[in-house]
Amino acid sequence: MNEQEAIREFLLAFADDEHLMGQQHTEWIGVAPFLEEDLAFSSIGQDELGHAALLYELVLELDGIEPTDTAVDALAYGRLSGGYRCCHLVEYATKNWAEALVRHWIYDTFEEMRWQLVKSSSLPELASIARKALREEAFHRRHADALLDKLLVAAEARNRILEALDAVAPLVEGLCEPVEGEPKAIREGLAAASTADLLEPLQQAIEERFSLSATQTPAAPAEGHRGRVGGAAEGQRGRTSRSAYFEPLLARMREVLDYDPEAVW
Amino acid sequence: MHVYEVFTKRDGRDEFRHVGALEAATDELALVLAREGYLRRAEGDRLWVVRRDHVIVADDNFVAPNADKPHRHHDGAAVAARRKASRQSQQ
Repeated sequence: MNEQEAIREFLLAFADDEHLMGQQHTEWIGVAPFLEEDLAFSSIGQDELGHAALLYELVLELDGIEPTDTAVDALAYGRLSGGYRCCHLVEYATKNWAEALVRHWIYDTFEEMRWQLVKSSSLPELASIARKALREEAFHRRHADALLDKLLVAAEARNRILEALDAVAPLVEGLCEPVEGEPKAIREGLAAASTADLLEPLQQAIEERFSLSATQTPAAPAEGHRGRVGGAAEGQRGRTSRSAYFEPLLARMREVLDYDPEAVW
Repeated sequence: MHVYEVFTKRDGRDEFRHVGALEAATDELALVLAREGYLRRAEGDRLWVVRRDHVIVADDNFVAPNADKPHRHHDGAAVAARRKASRQSQQ
């Protein structure tokens, strides 16, 4: 893998995570627990899709392809599954709103750290996207925190949130897993450090956010294994292998596009 | 849950305007949700949310008696007519 291929893979991992996360958030439109929330959550999803589109444009420019809407769509939706570099956390089909909320908080906490790594990137366009994205991330976190602040102090809600955390936590290591090309991309100055370095601070942030000591809840279950980050990154094989959730998700995303692949939007 | 009334304002000379209401469990959630519900297309630069039960509301009977005072609705026509007559008499 040469430098350019490494940079391309690095950008693709970031873009694919944003794309799938954005898609999953926007699927809550109309079915979130209350009206205001379904608007807010899908709107946050739109922000992530916006980041993805900007990152895909960078990839296309590297490829020497003019980043038209059609070209961005072809890259975003048109690859074989092995060509994607997303992590399994963003592919995962959540079972309920609690899991979606916990994933939202974890993903955005990580994403903020990830943008920090590239805000002084040697690729000026990437640094400029990072500055825009960081302004939005501050709001995304505030949205997730405002909900969790309220839910984690009510016994029933807290139990549901912690159950959701158990389901999502094993996928956190994979979220931080870098692509094979990352070391080369870092040597080229693309990022300040590896996303793998974010695992520890992320894990610490998760423990603080969801720890029992931070809130007093009489009916809380025993602490111990809660929120422990598992080793699911192995199954990702450097983000080259897709989980079972990926194909149905991609099919949903392509549903309209597939009616008429030649349509002009 | 509380109902919050939402007000927004553009920077400059515009005043705050009431744009709608929403339900939220906390003040912070009301702000976060109002931002997405009412400012997502940059409709304003400033945002107030006010809990509806914090609004001091006058009852209808308190307000109604002022509806029958036509003398407070002068349009200036009588004064204008007198001034016109006065100017003409001086000529």
